[in-house]
Amino acid sequence: MDQNSEVNQDELIIKQQKEIEKEISEQFALISEQLPVDSLNNEYVDDPVYKQKVEDISKKYRFIRKVRPDGNCFYRGFGFTILEYLIKNKDEFTKFREIVEDSKAKLLQLNFPQFTIDDFYDTIMEVINRVEPKDDNQEIVLEELYKLFNEQAYSDYVVVYLRLITSGKLQEDADFYSNFIEGNYTSLSDFCKKEVEPMYKESDHIHIIAICAALGCAVRVEYMDRGSHTEVIAHDFPESTNNPPIFLLYRPNHYDILYK
Amino acid sequence: MSTPARRRLMRDFKRLQEDPPTGVSGAPTDNNIMIWNAVIFGPHDTPFEDGTFKLTIEFTEEYPNKPPTVRFVSKMFHPNVYADGGICLDILQNRWSPTYDVSAILTSIQSLLSDPNPNSPANAMAAQLYKENRREYEKRVKACVEQSFID
Repeated sequence: MDQNSEVNQDELIIKQQKEIEKEISEQFALISEQLPVDSLNNEYVDDPVYKQKVEDISKKYRFIRKVRPDGNCFYRGFGFTILEYLIKNKDEFTKFREIVEDSKAKLLQLNFPQFTIDDFYDTIMEVINRVEPKDDNQEIVLEELYKLFNEQAYSDYVVVYLRLITSGKLQEDADFYSNFIEGNYTSLSDFCKKEVEPMYKESDHIHIIAICAALGCAVRVEYMDRGSHTEVIAHDFPESTNNPPIFLLYRPNHYDILYK
Repeated sequence: MSTPARRRLMRDFKRLQEDPPTGVSGAPTDNNIMIWNAVIFGPHDTPFEDGTFKLTIEFTEEYPNKPPTVRFVSKMFHPNVYADGGICLDILQNRWSPTYDVSAILTSIQSLLSDPNPNSPANAMAAQLYKENRREYEKRVKACVEQSFID
């Protein structure tokens, strides 16, 4: 039997994780200002493979917004950029708000506990209502969105709720999604409990497909990695979409927001 | 100062009072809503029956995004409880979800007493006895039950 099993390893690990998280939170805002996309070059001074890809991406996009690399970056970045898009396209805003409003009843049907999801639901609705675009308030609400997404309390609760929507969609269409689950999970619900609902857990294709389906959104993700091709590779979710209106940059284990 | 964590803990407390699950109780300490005392009564038809086991629950401002630290104060003999009272339970670690509240935490620990998981032992001796010598295991647990009356 493992001799170390009686040392409380869990708490040592948690302590170390906390230190890493503190360092990251001091270094990165939850959501950054827009930066020129070629500022990515600063991260790859001696890296010809990535430099070539930054060059490619600079031809296709003008700006990037960095998202804090804390494992929540997909949900935070996705939530921010979809709302930013809706503020600028206000005829689609109401529809989106209705979808989010309806999502709570679906979660309750799936046996998510009402007592605890209320807080997260109320928070995301408050954020959506506070950034509602009117005839001449676009700049003000864009500023408000940026402020709210950089306030930990709001930002994190929005992330929690987006995770719940994703988990709900995966479980609602379990027959379909369970075909794509690989690894050591006893069921789709087990996968959701381990890889979707806990904060700080990273997201993969299946999460993106599910959240897009749940919210009726489309997103293009540009994949930039060390692979041998010279260009970044675009992947649209859902696949059938023509020209999704929002863009994310994926580098291994991390998402940021891109702008044309 | 009211923060999301503190507001949520007030709601957790209210819910625990209004709709208490069987066999568990908990409340914030007098001066600090971030530190709670709790009691779990040993489940019926288990060697823990009749025990009143005390715990502390420590929350951070990141609650409910992160789980609290839960620890038995009463002496425990259980495959998934460390010598310092720390608990090895998936929902307090990699399966934590912000949708859990104090009520859910305490009832999960209560079911851990009924159903230990000897494959991820925090107490190697307890795990071994649980698998190989259930009589001795029960004897050691009952000693803790009796100790819990005195504590």
